[in-house]
Amino acid sequence: MKKILTLLMIMLLTVSFAFAGGQQESAGSTDAAVGGSEVVVDEWEIPFLNCLTGAIASIGEYLQWGAEYAAEQINAEGGIAGKPVKIVRVDTALSPEKGTVEMSKLVDDALVVMGPVPEPVIMAAVPIAADEGLYSFTATTSYEYAAEYFPWAISWFSPTDEKLPPIVTAWAEKVEAKNVVQFVENYGAWPGMAKAHVIGLEDAGVNVLEDVEVPSDAVSFGPLIVKALAQDPDAIVFACNAEKAAKIIIELRNRGWEDMNKMLVFSSADDAALYTTGGEKIDGVMIYNYNDPALDTPRWNDFRQAFKDDHDGIEPFSLSPNYYDAVYMIKRAIEDTGITGDPKKLAEERIKIRDYCNDIQNFEGLQYNWTNKGGYPADKPLFLFEIQDGQKVLVEKIIPE
Amino acid sequence: MSLPLYYYLAITAIYILMSWSIYIPYRVGQLHFMTVANMAISSYFAALMAINFAWPFWLVLIVGTLLGALIGFLVSVAIGDAPCFAVVIVGFTFIYLTKTIIENVEAFGGPLGIFSIPKVLQTSSDNRTLLLIVAYALVLLTGFLISRFDHSRLGRAASAIFIDRDLAVSFGVDVKKLGMFLQTWASAVGGMSGVMYAFIMRSISPNHFTFHLIGVCMTMLFVGGYTTLWGALLAAPILWGFPLILPEALQSWNIVIYGVLLIVVLVIKPEGIITRPTVKKIESLLSRNRKKV
Repeated sequence: MKKILTLLMIMLLTVSFAFAGGQQESAGSTDAAVGGSEVVVDEWEIPFLNCLTGAIASIGEYLQWGAEYAAEQINAEGGIAGKPVKIVRVDTALSPEKGTVEMSKLVDDALVVMGPVPEPVIMAAVPIAADEGLYSFTATTSYEYAAEYFPWAISWFSPTDEKLPPIVTAWAEKVEAKNVVQFVENYGAWPGMAKAHVIGLEDAGVNVLEDVEVPSDAVSFGPLIVKALAQDPDAIVFACNAEKAAKIIIELRNRGWEDMNKMLVFSSADDAALYTTGGEKIDGVMIYNYNDPALDTPRWNDFRQAFKDDHDGIEPFSLSPNYYDAVYMIKRAIEDTGITGDPKKLAEERIKIRDYCNDIQNFEGLQYNWTNKGGYPADKPLFLFEIQDGQKVLVEKIIPE
Repeated sequence: MSLPLYYYLAITAIYILMSWSIYIPYRVGQLHFMTVANMAISSYFAALMAINFAWPFWLVLIVGTLLGALIGFLVSVAIGDAPCFAVVIVGFTFIYLTKTIIENVEAFGGPLGIFSIPKVLQTSSDNRTLLLIVAYALVLLTGFLISRFDHSRLGRAASAIFIDRDLAVSFGVDVKKLGMFLQTWASAVGGMSGVMYAFIMRSISPNHFTFHLIGVCMTMLFVGGYTTLWGALLAAPILWGFPLILPEALQSWNIVIYGVLLIVVLVIKPEGIITRPTVKKIESLLSRNRKKV
């Protein structure tokens, strides 16, 4: 029996060494890229820990698309400090364990890392990066989830309970809502967003009814709708997955709900599934998010057209520009702080990028400019739209005070 | 030791322990998935005690393991001799209940879970070394105990129950007591894995303790071989390491590859890759070589 144990331990070690060998190879390839004078890399490699498979792979795909489109544009314009940039795809498959291992592979060599996505993977993997002094561009998350690891993680949005209430208040006042019920799915940051909605509703003097929980594995929504309607609401907020929100809206409509404006869908459900599942039956529904697709600037128009070309004519979604902007922010940080990419200066240059981005001034985002203070932006606007024929029509823009 | 290798080995140890926690009660033909709930409960217990009350790691490990055993024992009073499908249903129910409670209680961090679980030792490298040593010490201890059990009278009684419960009863085997013992033991292993998981990952989320985890551990057990403890020991490092080295283009086929692998193994070798005759063959081969030497 002892012999078998020894044999298996040898096999385990063999697998382990094979695994470690893969790591050394990638480190070697980085070294091979060194050359030149000021900037010593031949190519800037930016790893992106993304959820390319798993339950929210569709969101991961358009985040990835944004990052790669930015790299393509930057390379066409001469690269970063004269060197091309490459986005390295790293799939975490929505698994905290896989995210942890993938992040741990990067801590020795990466200058900066984009991701991970979403919050459960952030919570598992970013502490490793923070411990090892690697800056994470967590460009989909709000302050409360990244602040723990400040200054080693950036927040893309201000605290949820500061940024969301004004837009919800604006909607409630606009549609003159009096009794509001929320459909809430217990996933990631969504319950926190639902709580912020309640603050906004209360600010508008609305009577907030008991939440209806949408189970993650729900396939039938009849009982949930009965529970919501039994409270006699005159308006509804959706803080659940896009497909579920669309199905609930269709079911509500079939049951005689007429005032479509009195339904508000939250930003995380601004996904293809909302429009493909909802079709024309979601016309009139209101939705809030962080970007205005009808913005008319050459840069946005290029991005929008390219996105539509690659996605069968579908408009960019709420978070589509996030990693596009992240790549451009990294470019600006590298160029403005004189990063060389020299592995000998890795620790020092990581800190330079971190400090620059945490307090970046007047950053030229795809949609608007913003300024970071202490690792998060406080001046990003929010937009309220009405859905018409699968398009978002701007109703109101809220700029934080 | 490199950081990726540490995480690979540490998480492998957790998967080995969790696969064994399913193997132990399966010795009497019970698929006791409650160990996933035990893992969740003990990992949350560990996180809360370490963060809020600064309990030392060793105390959390012991109490977390005992907590798993206690819950397993209480449940086993009702299902110690229940048929396999009833034990499966109880396991699923407990997982669902545990997950729902965790997601809805703010003190447990809701759907995001708990993060920033303190290190056992201040220095990161010392912390990792200690946790890895403890994890593999627990694997060795559990493996040793399972091996002793498998070669004991109780182990033979368990095999008799697995093959023919009525026949085992007619030989005087107390099916309920043995079932209760194995379920309690498995739950203790589940609890122990939960504590180790919390300290290794330093963040826990209810999304980890789901049916997906059952699927992964079941695959490890049934591909590796469910008739000996060696099956999980062989399959866990390979099946957990496999997706990490898979090319990006094949990542989305990961689950399909797992499924096909499971089907192929079940068709070709229904008892898994390592069976008892395989173990005996290897043993006799090794002893022959020893004699030659």
